[in-house]
Amino acid sequence: MRYTRAHIFLFLSPLLLIVLFMYGMIAWTGYASMTNWVGMAPSWHFNGVDNYIKLLGMGRFWDALKNNVLWLVVFIPPTAILGLVLAYILDVAGWAERIFRPVLLYPMALSFVVTGNLWAWMYDAKGVFNMSLTGLGLKPQLWIASPDQVLYCIIAAAIWQYTGFAMILYVAAIREIPVEIFEAAKVDGANLTQLFYNIVVPNVGQATMIVIAMLTLFSLKIFDLVWVMTFGGPGTSSEVLPFFMYVASYRQGFVGLGSAISMVILLLAILVVIPYSLWFMKRAAE
Amino acid sequence: MTRLSRLSIYGLLILIVLVWLIPLYTMATTSFKTPREVAEGAYLALPRNLNLENYQEAFSVLQGGLVNSSIVAILATLVCILVGSWAGFFLALLKFRYSNAVFMITSIATFLPYQIVLFPLTQFIVSIGLMRTHAGMIVAYTILNTPMAALITATFFQKVPPELQEAAALDGCGPVTFYWRILLPVARLGILSAAILIFTMIWNEFLIALSFTLGTPAQMATPALANLKGSDAVQWQLLMAGSLLTSLPPLAIFIFLGRYYVAGLMAGATKGGA
Repeated sequence: MRYTRAHIFLFLSPLLLIVLFMYGMIAWTGYASMTNWVGMAPSWHFNGVDNYIKLLGMGRFWDALKNNVLWLVVFIPPTAILGLVLAYILDVAGWAERIFRPVLLYPMALSFVVTGNLWAWMYDAKGVFNMSLTGLGLKPQLWIASPDQVLYCIIAAAIWQYTGFAMILYVAAIREIPVEIFEAAKVDGANLTQLFYNIVVPNVGQATMIVIAMLTLFSLKIFDLVWVMTFGGPGTSSEVLPFFMYVASYRQGFVGLGSAISMVILLLAILVVIPYSLWFMKRAAE
Repeated sequence: MTRLSRLSIYGLLILIVLVWLIPLYTMATTSFKTPREVAEGAYLALPRNLNLENYQEAFSVLQGGLVNSSIVAILATLVCILVGSWAGFFLALLKFRYSNAVFMITSIATFLPYQIVLFPLTQFIVSIGLMRTHAGMIVAYTILNTPMAALITATFFQKVPPELQEAAALDGCGPVTFYWRILLPVARLGILSAAILIFTMIWNEFLIALSFTLGTPAQMATPALANLKGSDAVQWQLLMAGSLLTSLPPLAIFIFLGRYYVAGLMAGATKGGA
């Protein structure tokens, strides 16, 4: 179809305007991170890297950063592995997939606020976990009321919510493996476990990359679950960077400092987003 | 495959599925219980009566939020899809020298955590005088979600047969006519997938809704629901009724349009893949 320069402008300018505005806002955040901006009224002085130095000296910042890193380590592997195993089981299970897939995926459609409520109720003193423990004659736990357990408890809720997402990406990846490979291995007498390790696992690398990238970005964004389930507590034990950023800039009004935290989040996200987008582009060009 | 291994796989699957359903089950059952039944413990027990008081109370708190969220999510989705697919069409089917560069910067804008622009976005919405209004929320969500809409619709447009474009070009059909008259009707299921994904994302969004509307007449459903938890002793039966009410639109989409929801989700994550 023939088109002119006017068409390029006509079709792409609305999107580009929005995209460039996003970049402009990011630049604004970068600039604000080098000011002593406090409160909603814009009155500020440029203060270079003061906020960053202040941040590096704050235990609360390091705790939030450490929690974000723990999220990456504790959240991503179980979600990806469980998703892959379930995808494989659904693939093997045949007709049953149509019943089971929606049940494993429905948490994805829920708001984190709802997920947070549901899991907070499960972790309650009267909730299902303590009920099961006492039923088995074991000692009830504090769960999200314990500074040592809280992070893992919130992560468990996220695993519940995101496993279905990893699963559908893996289902698609397994479908793309040529049937002949499976057939040949079956003729050779491979059982289900061998098929999984020798054929499925080596052939879903691309899906794994997508899953890890998406779950990493989600981990860096995590805010709602923490807000709803614990409000960062007990104390500040479940705070993550976006939560700390919100509290610093919105609740306490330290916009400069909050923006510096945002820049740290940006830096971490860029490490994933740029390679991922480059890879996208390569695939689109193929 | 042996019968034993098939049985053990089904056994494992059923066990996981039951675990996955517990939160949904307790949301539904707790929402009908009386405060006394909740205090008694029996977490997994069915409610004694179908008592609707929790729903009445939760609805009276949430109804404004549900209406606001509906207005904002529907209108913002429409704008996102319109602006996004307009560009998505050009990027997917007409390709020019810098198509890939535009794809790249759009993809980065889509995937970066939006928390980092929270404060400048606040300043912007305040400066155009739309803070705490539906219009302000629609503008904010349009800015945040249009890049994603462009990527997803572009994915679906790439699957449109090229012959269609060639035939249209032979008939002297220009890009604008092609987009409106041919592409949108032909790719309507892709548009639907993108639309329900973005609607769900906006409906479920919390941070912007909280920052821009908490405690105002424009308050959205998610901050209203989070507020329902309160800081004192939690009224679980009330909170579960509220959670269920807030989940109805996305769950209805998931149940009735599940195929399209999944298609949108996959396109959003893999663009062109799957």
